[in-house]
Amino acid sequence: MKSSETTPARREPVIDVREMTLRFGSKVVHENLNLSIFRGETVAIVGASGSGKSTLLRVMAKLQLPSTGIVRVLGEDVTKMGRAQLQKMRRRLGVLFQNGALFGGMSAMENIAVPLHEHTGLSTRLINEIACVKLALVGLSPTDGLLYPNQLSGGMNKRVALARAIALDPELLFLDEPTSGLDPMNAAAFDELILKLKSALRPTIVIVTHDMDSLWRVADRVVLLGDTHLLADGTMEELVRSQDPAVVQFFQNSRMHAKAQPSL
Amino acid sequence: MKNDKRHLATLQIEGSLLRCSGSWTVSQMSRLELWLKQMLLPEGRLRIDLSEVRQMDTGGAWVLQRLLLTLERRQQAVDIRGLSAEASDLLELVRSTAITPESVPRLRHSGVIEDLGRGSLESARYSLGLLAFVGEIAGIWLGQLFHPARIRWREMVHELGEAGYKALGIVGLLSFLLGVVIAYQGGMQLRQYAASLFVADLVGLSMVRELAPLITAIIVAGRSGSAYTAQIGTMQVTEEVDALRSMGIAPMELLVLPKLLALIIALPLLTVFADIMGVLGGMVMASVQLDVGFSAYIDRLSTAVNVNSYLVGIGKAPVFAAIIALLGCYQGFQVVGSAESVGRRTTLSVVQSIMAVIVIDAAFSVAFSYFGI
Ligand SMILES: Nc1ncnc2c1ncn2[C@@H]1O[C@H](COP(=O)(O)OP(=O)(O)O)[C@@H](O)[C@H]1O
Ligand SMILES: [Mg+2]
Repeated sequence: MKSSETTPARREPVIDVREMTLRFGSKVVHENLNLSIFRGETVAIVGASGSGKSTLLRVMAKLQLPSTGIVRVLGEDVTKMGRAQLQKMRRRLGVLFQNGALFGGMSAMENIAVPLHEHTGLSTRLINEIACVKLALVGLSPTDGLLYPNQLSGGMNKRVALARAIALDPELLFLDEPTSGLDPMNAAAFDELILKLKSALRPTIVIVTHDMDSLWRVADRVVLLGDTHLLADGTMEELVRSQDPAVVQFFQNSRMHAKAQPSL
Repeated sequence: MKNDKRHLATLQIEGSLLRCSGSWTVSQMSRLELWLKQMLLPEGRLRIDLSEVRQMDTGGAWVLQRLLLTLERRQQAVDIRGLSAEASDLLELVRSTAITPESVPRLRHSGVIEDLGRGSLESARYSLGLLAFVGEIAGIWLGQLFHPARIRWREMVHELGEAGYKALGIVGLLSFLLGVVIAYQGGMQLRQYAASLFVADLVGLSMVRELAPLITAIIVAGRSGSAYTAQIGTMQVTEEVDALRSMGIAPMELLVLPKLLALIIALPLLTVFADIMGVLGGMVMASVQLDVGFSAYIDRLSTAVNVNSYLVGIGKAPVFAAIIALLGCYQGFQVVGSAESVGRRTTLSVVQSIMAVIVIDAAFSVAFSYFGI
């Protein structure tokens, strides 16, 4: 039901990972991994800590080159891209890093304004107004924009980081553990926020999360990473019902919790 | 982008009709923004036609909303036509934020007088803070004098290696070269008076009394003072200092005292080394350029440089060391928040300690000549 709303009839892969292998020295993180993500989808990547979720996100966001294999993002091969092409492509992507990665020497509003200044040529005045609109979209007031990252609480920090990631209305949004480190109330509010942005801006979202609530609420599809491979790929309902031992093991601890959720 | 022109967001006025077209996206708005500033809006009831807008994002929706707000303020009625469902959602979203151009917080610009006042207060606060810092360190140090077991020997030995042993190379090289330069420049003049032998006096006295302590202190300020600020500053940013406090470890005891003690020991030793290397440099140059043999040079040196001159030079080193270590650590604790602050404080720490070293050296010179040492 969720996917019928957001996925158009023409299934067009926005991200296409084919036979991708990634090694750090002798350590194999991914081996012959295949994954397609379609326009308008929200795909969650789950897996144990150290299973390579962040790394896969970095590969798809073109921050890390794969060792072998093909990675197509927005129709173009990441590994065969020139610098200029890459720069142009990058503004169609937004990334929310695991720890926020806000620039400490700038206020929240200036942080959001950075990509706007870099890519639009608009006046500072208009850019600041747009930054305030983005702040409001993530539930912060314009005066919060004057605060510096070290003056922000954990939840506000993530909100500002999200506002910066959506500064240019990206087609593709990567979120690395957006709700980790937030209290349940804030985490739930953050899920709401993602849903709101999803219906308004209609980006394709790839989200790494450990949060069962998030999985149920925002993900159209869930892929489970483990042991250098893709262990499972399906909707949350399918994964929870799956008899596959690896999947069962991963969801074991959260299964009780998960059963209680589908009504949401 | 071949069709760049056709993508540009535009707005044309045809009587009471505002016809919008192109991509109303944030990257295509810059021309439109300029045009909107100069444009004269017609009076009366207006129609806005958006049917030719091929794309819109929040940036475009905001510019439209801004226009609507202006018209609202002018109390002009507006009919909007041709808004696609998606664009309409976006406009609704932007409208729901209730942001207006006036809600952007302005950074208040302060006047000259205010800056002057704030600057003075800031320097006063800084000086008082430094004084309190020195006092606190002195207190802890006195306490430790009676309980030597509480001194962190391991950290101190580590710092001694970092600030002293590892600086031998650069201090040795630079003071050797300094000796060479002085012998060369001075020797050329002395030879005209057939007084080449006095090059030993020149190099010996200037190195031992003034230049060796000074250049060593400056090198150490650049090497170790900056490292102290950067280390403590980064720990401050990542809350490591607070973590130490929470474990009941006084940051002053662990981070400052070992550095201070180590530098007070290391700097005089480095200065002795710089003395030797500088005199050696002069000796090599004297023999190459001025035909003053090694033994003649050393003979002359022992009469020219007495123990007093030597001690005057060495005696300044612990004072310089204390200044460098205290300023470096104090600036580290002044870091708040960000990586940028670490950079600024590190610069300040190096500049201030080099300045302080030179000023205090001058004060020493005046005092020594007054007392005839
Ligand atoms: N730059 C790197 N160099 C070497 N190993 C790395 C690097 N980045 C990640 N790894 C390794 O890759 C594995 C996956 O890391 P990561 O993607 O961060 O895991 P997670 O699923 O917890 O996000 C880990 O074992 C990590 O040690
Ligand atoms: Mg990770």
